[in-house]
Amino acid sequence: MSSKQYRQSLREKWLAERFPNTKEITLGLKRIFVMPTMTSAALLLALFVLLLMAINFQSSLIYGLAFWLLALIIISVFFTYRNLSEVTVRAIQASSCFAGEKAVFELEISCPEGQKKSAISVGWKFQDFTTIDLLNKNSVSIKLSHETLKRGIFKPKRVSIFTTFPIGLVVAWSYASLEMQSIVYPTPLLQESSEDGLSLAEDAEQGKEIIRGSTDFSGVRQYQVGDSPKHIHWPSYAKTGEAYTKTFVDYANQDLWLEWDSLALKGIETKLSHLCAKVLQYHQDHQIYGLKIPGKTIQPSSGEAHKTICLTALALYGIS
Amino acid sequence: MFNKGFPQDKQVTYAGMLWLLAAQLVVMAPLAFYLPVWILPVLLFSAAWRIRVMKGHLEQPRIIIKLFVAVLGIAALSISGLKLISLDMMASLLMLGFAYKTLEVIQRRDAMVVLLTGFLLIGVSFLYSQSILSALYGIFALIVLAGTMIAIQQSKSHSILATLRSASLMVLLCLPLMLVFFIFSPRFSPLWTIPLEASQGKTGISDSMTPGDIAKLSKSDELAFTVTFEGELPKQNELYWRGLVLQYFDGKTWTPFSNKLEFNDIKRQLKISRSELRKRLVKKGYGKKYEVIYEKTAQPWLFALSPVVDIRGNAFFTTDFRIIAERNILEPMMMTVVSYPETLRDVILPDATRQLALQLPPEGNNKSRKLAKELLKQSSSKQEYINTILNRYTQQDFYYTLRPPVLGERDTIDKFLFKSKKGFCAHYAGSFVFMMRAAGIPARIVTGYQGGTLNEKGKFLSIRQYDAHAWTEVWLENQGWIRIDPTASVAPDRVEKNLEAAVEKEGSFLEGKVFSMAKYKWLNSLKNKLDSTQYAWRRFVLSYDNETQKSLLKRLFGEITVHKIATVVGAFFVVIILFWSIFLGLGRKSAKEAQEHQIYRRFCALLAKHGVNREPSQTPQTFSQYASKQLPQLAGDINSFSQLYSELCYNPEKQSNSRENNSLKNIKALKILFKTIKKKL
Repeated sequence: MSSKQYRQSLREKWLAERFPNTKEITLGLKRIFVMPTMTSAALLLALFVLLLMAINFQSSLIYGLAFWLLALIIISVFFTYRNLSEVTVRAIQASSCFAGEKAVFELEISCPEGQKKSAISVGWKFQDFTTIDLLNKNSVSIKLSHETLKRGIFKPKRVSIFTTFPIGLVVAWSYASLEMQSIVYPTPLLQESSEDGLSLAEDAEQGKEIIRGSTDFSGVRQYQVGDSPKHIHWPSYAKTGEAYTKTFVDYANQDLWLEWDSLALKGIETKLSHLCAKVLQYHQDHQIYGLKIPGKTIQPSSGEAHKTICLTALALYGIS
Repeated sequence: MFNKGFPQDKQVTYAGMLWLLAAQLVVMAPLAFYLPVWILPVLLFSAAWRIRVMKGHLEQPRIIIKLFVAVLGIAALSISGLKLISLDMMASLLMLGFAYKTLEVIQRRDAMVVLLTGFLLIGVSFLYSQSILSALYGIFALIVLAGTMIAIQQSKSHSILATLRSASLMVLLCLPLMLVFFIFSPRFSPLWTIPLEASQGKTGISDSMTPGDIAKLSKSDELAFTVTFEGELPKQNELYWRGLVLQYFDGKTWTPFSNKLEFNDIKRQLKISRSELRKRLVKKGYGKKYEVIYEKTAQPWLFALSPVVDIRGNAFFTTDFRIIAERNILEPMMMTVVSYPETLRDVILPDATRQLALQLPPEGNNKSRKLAKELLKQSSSKQEYINTILNRYTQQDFYYTLRPPVLGERDTIDKFLFKSKKGFCAHYAGSFVFMMRAAGIPARIVTGYQGGTLNEKGKFLSIRQYDAHAWTEVWLENQGWIRIDPTASVAPDRVEKNLEAAVEKEGSFLEGKVFSMAKYKWLNSLKNKLDSTQYAWRRFVLSYDNETQKSLLKRLFGEITVHKIATVVGAFFVVIILFWSIFLGLGRKSAKEAQEHQIYRRFCALLAKHGVNREPSQTPQTFSQYASKQLPQLAGDINSFSQLYSELCYNPEKQSNSRENNSLKNIKALKILFKTIKKKL
């Protein structure tokens, strides 16, 4: 291990100890770092020129001015620290996404009542960040996106929180290592040339009845509160004096199965991408579909929840 | 840098731009008194252009236009009559750049450049004026600059007052630390000499005397120096503040030497060590110790009662019993001086000095020369001759006036002594020395100040420019140099009281100065108060240098050691940082969580132990439903607990009519419910 790597790992270890994974974190003395900025360096240069002037012109007032600026740099450490201290960062939720897209994380930034914070930036380096003020309200919820590279569970790095407020001479920063994760689905990628990994179930010929359909009449049953008056079976009512409701079924003439084994594709990821694209396609066409992948079978169904279950299964394939 | 990877929008906002403009105006305003005033409109023009660009009315000027404008500005500076290499020129260039930079302030970084230049310009303005008012204005400018720094950090515009308030808070909280730096940081002597400037021009007595110079000074009530005596104050007519000795006469003007000498040459010719000085003195009488604060004159001359035998300060002794500062006084300078006014000086007169003290132009003023020879013949002693000459001033109708007739170029002494007979100190001193030298008595002119006004409140003497005076010194056997003031014979009031009394009838005191406070007696008490404040300002702030620092630290902490000073400074630091922390509320523990929240948190932690985790997005209600499903045996308790908690948190109105008691009761109930849940688990 090179010394650079070693140092990196030491730093990681130290940071991990200081910033344990939590749902929320409040920044305090132990977690806030403070550093002068380039502006401070420039001001120090001006200060040096002022000191030269003071020495050569023997001017007490210019000495005073130079010292005042020095004191300003020092006190801005306290002001900038104050702007970040007692700020709480809390994980709220994370959205799922497809690999290569950006996962969105919702965080809440808050501070104790009666305090005011300005120009606090929160985000990930080279990813996304946002700058907020906490002036009239104590908490603000923000959405940050982070790009994802591969499917699976994505846990973002520590979030950086920093501010140079009020006068930009000093930057105070900290990290929040939040327990947040986003499920990253495989990138949907339809493979045209392949068998489409689709097999019809054995009972497909007869079709499967979907109870409480609306197309074909299948019989009558006792009226229940909430049944549509349109569906009341008036002949039975006339005969018996009791209300009966007509029942209908829809026939899904083909139950669609997305099967891993019948895919003539090479490579796990290619297969997953293809299946993912298929799930999306069927979902869009309001189809009823099931999913069979090694170790998991999801019975045919439809709807948003079903889609999420299927995509999650694809995302987590092979990941314990 | 830390900011890498966070590409912030670093443009200066509209509000930030307005702040910047205001700050620039505040910084430039005082300098407009001393430097070309047209730089102010340049600033306004640049700012107006920039603001119109921001509003989308105009395009950002192209480089060629910027270049043109810059060349125009520099051209204007070069014809404005400033010396090429001078402070004025530097300051003007800095101001011009400062004004132009506004045109291209787009990024925060540009604004920072302008602000840093602003700090430098505050410093430059202190070179031109060092009054209390200037210092207070400097603090104000500092606050505005800090406010601008805050304003350009803000993404949204905030109220001006709030920004100004936080800037003031910041700047004023710096004061204690700044004072520690100011008092304890070491002071250095100048690293290189600075050329003198026209605008911070020489004031006070010049190093030559043509009748007329001192008359000019008599029109000014500017302060020359202040003196605080240790012990008793000498009598008014003994207060001869000796500054320059003029030996050479060319027929019209009196100068120290036959040709103009650079400061270093003067120093080489005149400087003597303390021991050499002591050899030329016969110590007599009493000593007077006093502290003098010399005002800025841009000249090295110091004024003191003669002869000075001891000085503490940056000055040297000279062969003609003066003290001269090691460098031009650009900042009020304090010195502690000990004089022995009755001491005999040069009882044995060196030949070189005698020759200088007898010099006269080869011809001219023949009437006076003749008179001198006649009167000397009639006198039995030199002393008698001197008395004759002095009596002549009183007996004949010589007249003390600040409005003398013009004497022309030639035979000025003759014209004065025989014709006009009207003049002031310079005329009397000049003619007297001429008469002495014509009779072979070594004599010389001394210029300086005479008298001074006592400030009853502060117990210090203020010597102003109108106290400027010229008198003479004559060398006599066994007595050395003795002081003779011919003016005292003509106008005793000038010496016994002051100039104002001497020219009371004429009404020429501070002529042409309508608004001088010195003219109005009824303003005296206010003037005294102001004077003593200003005295304190100069005494403790402006003249604070290496010497005064040493004596102050010695007085406060005894013998100075590095160790001791470091300890004291460290202690100050700790105290200041503690004060800041407390003041800014950094030491405070985080606000205590309300009791119901504490219990609820414990409740959540308890359920989490049993595998029921609350998602942050779940409200207490949804969580209670979820938890009831997971732990059906506790459903009832969990429900009522959550309900009570919700009520406590979200329905404060319900409690407010049943008052505090009720809420306490509810919290107790919440506790009990929590305990039962805990037990059941």
